[in-house]
Amino acid sequence: MASPVNLLRLCLRPSRRLPNLRASAVPQLTHRRPLSTTQWRSASTPTEDDASAKEAEDELEKVFKNPGEFLNAFIRDESVSDEERRLAQRMLEDWSKVPLPEKQNIEKLAQEVNEESAQLRRPIMPKKDSFWHVEETDQDLITDEVGEDDFEEDDIMAMGHAKLEEHREFREYARIAVWEMPLLSKLAKPFQPPAEDEVLRFRYTTYMGEFHPADRKVVVEFCPKDLPGLSEAQQLKLKKLAGSRYNPEKDIIKMSCERFEHQAQNKRYLGDLVNKMIEAAKDPTDMFEDIPLDTRHHKFKPQIKFPKKWYLTEERRKELEEQRKQALLLDEQKRTEGTLIDGVQAIQQAMLHAKPVEVVPVLRRGQRGRR
Amino acid sequence: MSAPNCLRCLLRPSAGIPVSSLPRSTPFALVRAAPFTTTTANPRPKKEAQADGKPKNHTRAGKKLKLGKFKKEKVGDRGRPPLPGERKAYRKRITLSNDNAIPVPWLTDLGSADLANPANMARVMALPVELQDQLRASEAFKPTQCWGMFRKPAVLVRKETVDLANRMQNAVDKRQTLRLVVTGDKVTGKSMMVLQAMAHAYLNNWVVIHIPEAQELTTACTEYAPIPNTDPVQYMQPVYVLKLLQAIKRANENVLARTYTVNPHPELSQSVPPNTPLLALANAAKEPDAAWPVFQALWSELTTQGANRPPILLSVDGLAHIMKISDYRSPAFDLIHSHDLALVRLFADALGGAVQLPSGGAVIAATARNNAPRTPSMELALAQREAEQARAEAQANGLDPNAVEVPQKDPFFRGYDDRVEAVLRSVQVLRVRGVDKLEARALMEYWAASGMLRATVDEKTVTEKWTLAGSGVLGEMERAALLTMRI
Repeated sequence: MASPVNLLRLCLRPSRRLPNLRASAVPQLTHRRPLSTTQWRSASTPTEDDASAKEAEDELEKVFKNPGEFLNAFIRDESVSDEERRLAQRMLEDWSKVPLPEKQNIEKLAQEVNEESAQLRRPIMPKKDSFWHVEETDQDLITDEVGEDDFEEDDIMAMGHAKLEEHREFREYARIAVWEMPLLSKLAKPFQPPAEDEVLRFRYTTYMGEFHPADRKVVVEFCPKDLPGLSEAQQLKLKKLAGSRYNPEKDIIKMSCERFEHQAQNKRYLGDLVNKMIEAAKDPTDMFEDIPLDTRHHKFKPQIKFPKKWYLTEERRKELEEQRKQALLLDEQKRTEGTLIDGVQAIQQAMLHAKPVEVVPVLRRGQRGRR
Repeated sequence: MSAPNCLRCLLRPSAGIPVSSLPRSTPFALVRAAPFTTTTANPRPKKEAQADGKPKNHTRAGKKLKLGKFKKEKVGDRGRPPLPGERKAYRKRITLSNDNAIPVPWLTDLGSADLANPANMARVMALPVELQDQLRASEAFKPTQCWGMFRKPAVLVRKETVDLANRMQNAVDKRQTLRLVVTGDKVTGKSMMVLQAMAHAYLNNWVVIHIPEAQELTTACTEYAPIPNTDPVQYMQPVYVLKLLQAIKRANENVLARTYTVNPHPELSQSVPPNTPLLALANAAKEPDAAWPVFQALWSELTTQGANRPPILLSVDGLAHIMKISDYRSPAFDLIHSHDLALVRLFADALGGAVQLPSGGAVIAATARNNAPRTPSMELALAQREAEQARAEAQANGLDPNAVEVPQKDPFFRGYDDRVEAVLRSVQVLRVRGVDKLEARALMEYWAASGMLRATVDEKTVTEKWTLAGSGVLGEMERAALLTMRI
């Protein structure tokens, strides 16, 4: 009675959600709203789905690796019904009767299944150098792919159906856009600026439900001054600890994490890290007083502003006019006095008074004749 | 019977003649060339020229590739090529007068108090002939300055000039030393400010020691030698010092002849008894070997306290060059710091305030902008001093002194130099900026009256050139108006 299929059926029963085999790699559309202009945030239950999916996957692995152990744990679980417990009891007995080589066989089989199905779990990445994505299947075209090419003269072809289906889909979304989306405004909440104790600003990235390697990334920003209970020296130490993540111009520390598979994990890591940094900053054993704050990573941009006194205000205009008038008056005065100096005139005067240069014949000597 | 082929040199004798038939009388070893040599054993005999001046061999008549067939034959000789150093001398020559320029009627010669007189601000004044000689002897004129365009060398008395001359005068009145660095942007007239300071000093019978180009001391272009019994080792530059001594002698002849030694100088080869004129002491250096001891003796005499000594002006142009590691190497092949060169050290000590001048004086250094190595310490120190001055000024005017930010060291930069900082810790900084319009007008009137500016000097022209020159930067004004010929 210990057929693997039965075992599998039983084992999958307690896990509340059947993990989609590919869910680990390709998050499905069903997880999130299909169309949304707002950023996807999971404030209350960060990623329960993802967490439980992960849990279920672990469970699945455990079942296949060692069914006996799993069954023991299952029986001890209080949430299962008596009937199931009895079934499990029986199966455990059966499993204990199984001779060792067969056990090993089962384990081997489990491993094989795991390896075989690995292909299915892998994400499909677009090829970089493909020509117009020829090898890609048309995702929008909905066909059942069974007997596609059989034509029985009573209907249009499967492709035609697919095209119609596509149209229906378009129109469905158009209907949603026209009739239902305006209703969303009823759900709109007024923006509330973060409270004083909400000092961490997290940034998430969503690709509208599509899989993307960057959608797990979480960025946190905070100002050391906003952290409650930190003295000046501690704030400075915190900045030094942050190193190149500190922006001295904006006085903000910015850190990101994409080390883990899920957004929630990354966020949790960042939160823990900030706590750890604050703790370290508060630690009085070494306040890093001998190390100056390093800002070599940051290039300060000079703030160039149009000088205020360069603006051509009415006053300035009058002032300039006055200056020009004064200059003209000065010139006029000099002209009447005869002290205005003209370079050309000076030269002409000098030429008039210059004595004519007497030409004195000089003996040229030693110049070899040149024809 | 020897082998037919000479095995030792692997040379094959000509086939017909057996080795045995070679003349036996000459020993083989004598005929043979050196076994390893890169030069030919016998210099190739000179080609015998034929009567028509063409070599005899390897010329095929009528089958010669001739490039540039249609080129004209070079006519005549170009004369003698310039001798070594002649071109440089031509490039560096200093012409102080131009007979074709029109003499300016209102130009007056500088008197001893003229440069310190505020009434002379924004006036162009001529340098008297003796002063010209003195300045020329101490190489205060530079070939890049436009002296050669006018009948007589003349300078514009600027606001900064009057300020500087007054500061010098005040220092001497109080028997103190003015330690000052002239700095400013390119071609704003920093060297000219030093020249005016020197002019003031010469006119008031100071002793002036001027280093015209600091780079000559540190770019390893003049000889150097360690001075014995110095720790850490210092280096003298005998050839340069001899040149400097001669310049000092020529420029300060009158003053030095009137000043007498008070100490004996047994270390000099020539006996200099007390009460000898300093001019004779300076004359004791006839060759580079004796130059440094003589210079040292002269300096110690000039700085002797208690004796009747004239005020002293030490000036240098191109400060950045003596505020860095020099290009000289010690015997251990380490680079020598500029301040380990004895002459530079003397100057640096004076600038840093370590030397007490007996009847006061001034130490004036000018920075250069075009030919200046990067010296972060000097730049920082000057910026700091300037900011401190601005602070003091703000405080004096009743403003908030904290509004002026004093620049600080970059804690992560390695290139600072403590010795430079120590020298520049307490100097005054005089920043030379563009001239104002009044001064610009005076200058342009002088140009026009000399016939070098063919324009009417009215407010419009002045403002135009002043603006073109970036608010009256003097060098740029020259470029905009004087050096651009518009006939």
